[in-house]
Amino acid sequence: MLEAINLSKVYGSGPAALDGLNLRVEPGEIFCLLGANGAGKTTTINLFLNFIEPSGGTAKVKGLDVTQKALETKKYLAYIPEQVMLYRNLSGLENLEYFSSLAGRHYEQSELFGFFEQVGLTTEEATKRVSAYSKGMRQKVGIAIALAKKAEALLLDEPTSGLDPKASNEFSGLLQKMSSEGVAIFMTTHDLFRAKETGTRVGIMKQGRLVDTFDTEGLQLTDLERIYLEHMHD
Amino acid sequence: MLIQIVKNEWRNLTADRTLWWVTFILVVAIGYGVYNGTSWVHFLERSIEEALQDEHDRLAKAQHTVANGLEPERESRSPYSARYIGRRMGLRYAYLPPGPLASLSVGQSDLYPSYFKVNTQSTQRQKRHSELENPNHLLTSRFDLAFVIVYLFPLLILALSYNLISSEREQGTLAMVLSQPVTLRQFVVSKIGFRALIVSVLVIGLSFLAFLLNGINLFGDGASGQLLRWIAIVLAYSAFWFSLAVAVNALGKNSATNAIILAGMWLLFVVVVPSAVSLVVKNLYPVPTRVEFIVASREASMDARATEARLLSVFYEDHPELLPEGEEADMEEFDTLQWAAEMKVEESLKPVLARYDEQLLKQQGQVNRLRFLSPAIVTQEALNEIAGTGLARYRHFMSGVEAFHQEWRAYFVPKIFDMYEMTGPDFDEIPPYNYVEEPQGRVNRYVRVALVGLILPTLGIFALGLFKLRSYPLTG
Amino acid sequence: MIRTIAYKEFLEMVRDGRLQWAAAIVFVLLLTALAVGWSHYQEISAQHELSQKTVRNQWLNQPEQNPHSGAHYGTYAVKPKTFLSSIDTGVEPYVGAAVWLEAHNQNQFEARPAEDATAVQRFGQLTAAVVLQLFLPLLIILVSFSVFAGEREQGTLRQLISLGVQPSHLAAGKALGVAGALGLVLIPAAGIGVVAMTLLTDLAAATADLGRMFLLGVFYLIYFGFFIGISLTVSARARSSRLALVALLGFWIFNGLIAPRVASDLSRMLYPGPSSFEFESGITEAIAHGLDGKSSYRDVERKRRAEVMAQYGVDNARDLPINFAGVRLQMNEDWGYEVFDKFYGDLYANFRRQNRVQQIAAVFAPFLAIRSLSMGLSGTDYYLHQDFAERAEMHRRLEIKIINDDITFKGAEAGREYVNGIDVWEKVPPFEYQVKPVSWVLGNHGLSLVILLLWFAASAGLLCWATGRIEVG
Repeated sequence: MLEAINLSKVYGSGPAALDGLNLRVEPGEIFCLLGANGAGKTTTINLFLNFIEPSGGTAKVKGLDVTQKALETKKYLAYIPEQVMLYRNLSGLENLEYFSSLAGRHYEQSELFGFFEQVGLTTEEATKRVSAYSKGMRQKVGIAIALAKKAEALLLDEPTSGLDPKASNEFSGLLQKMSSEGVAIFMTTHDLFRAKETGTRVGIMKQGRLVDTFDTEGLQLTDLERIYLEHMHD
Repeated sequence: MLIQIVKNEWRNLTADRTLWWVTFILVVAIGYGVYNGTSWVHFLERSIEEALQDEHDRLAKAQHTVANGLEPERESRSPYSARYIGRRMGLRYAYLPPGPLASLSVGQSDLYPSYFKVNTQSTQRQKRHSELENPNHLLTSRFDLAFVIVYLFPLLILALSYNLISSEREQGTLAMVLSQPVTLRQFVVSKIGFRALIVSVLVIGLSFLAFLLNGINLFGDGASGQLLRWIAIVLAYSAFWFSLAVAVNALGKNSATNAIILAGMWLLFVVVVPSAVSLVVKNLYPVPTRVEFIVASREASMDARATEARLLSVFYEDHPELLPEGEEADMEEFDTLQWAAEMKVEESLKPVLARYDEQLLKQQGQVNRLRFLSPAIVTQEALNEIAGTGLARYRHFMSGVEAFHQEWRAYFVPKIFDMYEMTGPDFDEIPPYNYVEEPQGRVNRYVRVALVGLILPTLGIFALGLFKLRSYPLTG
Repeated sequence: MIRTIAYKEFLEMVRDGRLQWAAAIVFVLLLTALAVGWSHYQEISAQHELSQKTVRNQWLNQPEQNPHSGAHYGTYAVKPKTFLSSIDTGVEPYVGAAVWLEAHNQNQFEARPAEDATAVQRFGQLTAAVVLQLFLPLLIILVSFSVFAGEREQGTLRQLISLGVQPSHLAAGKALGVAGALGLVLIPAAGIGVVAMTLLTDLAAATADLGRMFLLGVFYLIYFGFFIGISLTVSARARSSRLALVALLGFWIFNGLIAPRVASDLSRMLYPGPSSFEFESGITEAIAHGLDGKSSYRDVERKRRAEVMAQYGVDNARDLPINFAGVRLQMNEDWGYEVFDKFYGDLYANFRRQNRVQQIAAVFAPFLAIRSLSMGLSGTDYYLHQDFAERAEMHRRLEIKIINDDITFKGAEAGREYVNGIDVWEKVPPFEYQVKPVSWVLGNHGLSLVILLLWFAASAGLLCWATGRIEVG
């Protein structure tokens, strides 16, 4: 579903922000990318979204090159940034309606409420102005948009940073539900615990390179910690 | 333009208070501006009416006196003489009626006189009858609709669009939007197009409302054609500022920086460049101070008088009522002498006056070229032309006055030399003044050029902006 | 402490690229305006001086004729240009430069420079005064709008306040920093300008104006001080630097563009003037039928003739030892003076009332105060023009009286045949206009000065108050 083939990004004459990334995320997978700040996690997402141009290699969504088929690939993608930003003076409902219609999907109000229900937002909450939303609520709207879009791939940037454990848990639940419906999920995070809990696979990024990937099946948190720190000390 | 984006923009703009403020300011400013312009036009029209009424009464009285062989009111040589009628009693006013859309831009109409006294005397040293406006007011210039359009309108446009893309990026919604299958170009065009539409409807709608409320006749004298041109100029001017906002946004800087840059551009185009252009043309083609002309004309009339054989007649020329009876014989020579003297002075002063005219024309020519450096100049000049308060129409009026003056002299001078006494029916033959409006073609051509002068840079800037959008830093 | 803050502020500003550009532009504009203004002054001043001399010579060179004809030819009063008009042209483009002093008529001024210019000039002249009154405040706004708000957004304000800096010291320090940055533009420009203009001009004329230049400088500094205060206050109180900028720009537009126009309109509405036609026909009517509309000059003349004949004990005017024509001419003039005094008096008084309104309006827009003070000190305001007009008229009346007395007393024998030449022309002194003292200017514009000072004090007070209650974000 999501494929990076030798994907690289260099800014100016400095070191590579991303160096020869090779990665595949299949439908139903939840891939968690771990790494320090500046390791290249956000750059990866930006490349998939065609927000920046790759210096080398290709990013593909559903087999389509994102730089060549920008508009089409965006139909299949949904993006949830670290801070889901919505139009403050509009309600969650109005925001959902707007973004989903931009994606080419037009729904009745009841259907839109349905999406909110799926992500755990009540009708009352959905009709309030976004300026009153907590971070968790805004993220839920983000997921609602992904659902409304019927996105086949989900890109998340540090989704659980700043969420309390309960909200974090809720969020994980949603993701797992979506992956069980065949959505390919790519997620960057600092949170080792969440990575182990939610992800099906984990990758470790260091200074622009993917240095390790492994399944989370049977993995203990302490193991993950050890592997992570080992890589960080190299 | 995507309809969803427009719908969203409408929601956002109405929730944000900027649009309401803009509307409020427009309502007040346009209303006030049109009211001001209209009051001024009414003042001018009343002034002209008073003058014409006086002319009518005077001529009627003179005709009545002559027709009924009555005694003159004052001791004068003869109220019946063509000389007296042509020079004093019968003088007419050549006036410039304000055009149908004169309220839209006061232009130069508060500086130039709107009527001239026409008699047999030379127009060169005529006392000008400009309105008695307080010089402080002339310095400040007027809060008319043209001021609102040229100065304030761009500010409101910039207030609505300075953070067109930068706010979305700063808010974070830009990433949300662009992760949908929408191009940045589509997004920007929709946003700006919507704002342009709202603002255009507001300005034109409010203006028309103001026109109606102030009793401006929108359908008389070809006004409707001019109104369409007015709309075109206003729209073109607004398009310039909108495209400038797009281009500056496309640079990718933050909202505060955009605001500074755009404010700077406003200052540059609306305040600095016009003053600079004024400075440049004044120095390229300086018009000598009229004081020199005054001195020269006095020199000329002194020379003319010195050649007169009879100094006494000079004296009597100024005080004919003091002439004792029985000196009719002198008068023939007296009139001829006076006429000759006046003609001589006029001839010698013509080249001097021509120099002033020439320089001013050259200045205007240079302004016509340099105006394209600033859309504000183009727009102001075009608005003046449409309202009929610019230099060109005034010069047309002046040439009409000259022509009428020639006609007047052609009628009266032969009679003066013949010592002709007017009779009742003669009064119906005195040349009347009719103002002939300048051919609309000239104004239309001018406005067309102005439109091109506004649209071309707009398109260029817009294209530049769209081009720059390709490298817009989405991850700011 | 204040110095530390001021210095850091100053450093930040001079290193900011945007501000460097803006400052450079203002600097160039200021110097250009000074250069052009000065060259214009030189040229026109010379022309006016020459014209005044030529006109005087024309008067003296008149041939022998009846002196009354000479009075008809008359002479001209040409307004001299002041040295400081190179800085502020004031209302000069819109008032005539010369007035015809002839018998029987009090004329209006001729030769308005604005009529010989294109419509572009109505956008405003690029004079040093305009740069100082409009562009420099904009520079101040640019430099100051983010001084507090920006620090708050960066987070450094919190650190600063946590250090225990006294709010008034903070305010003073920031203000001085801004003033210092401003000084970098102003001091060289003013220095170059003043020195260059003084050296290149007639030193005597320039030094006479030193006092005025000094006062001008002080008043402009007070105006800038006000702007610094108000900009910093808004920066301190606004919720974001963007809002601060918008608010300050809005104030600048209101202050410099909108308020003057509205004040003009208001003064016109409160004290409307006559139309040109009403004025002139009013004068004509009053001269024909007296101010009350019922008198006749002829009656007055007859009465006087009888009196004079009785005085000299004769039965026939021809037997008078004086030339009654001279007496009659003077009476005619006196009759006219009453009318002119009424009409021109009313007109001038009305303009003064209108200008009063504009001065008061400075309570809403300090721009009006500095503009009027600047024009006043530069000698290019309407008060000076009115004074010049009045002096010219007094000279005209003197000229006429001298001539009429000559006719009355010297022309007794010759009667109608009386002629004279240089003897009588010479008796009329050349017209000289005395420069008004600064105290006169300040008397006219006292209200503006008071209002300007109040604005300055208010802005200083507001700044202290704002820094005291500053939110650290």
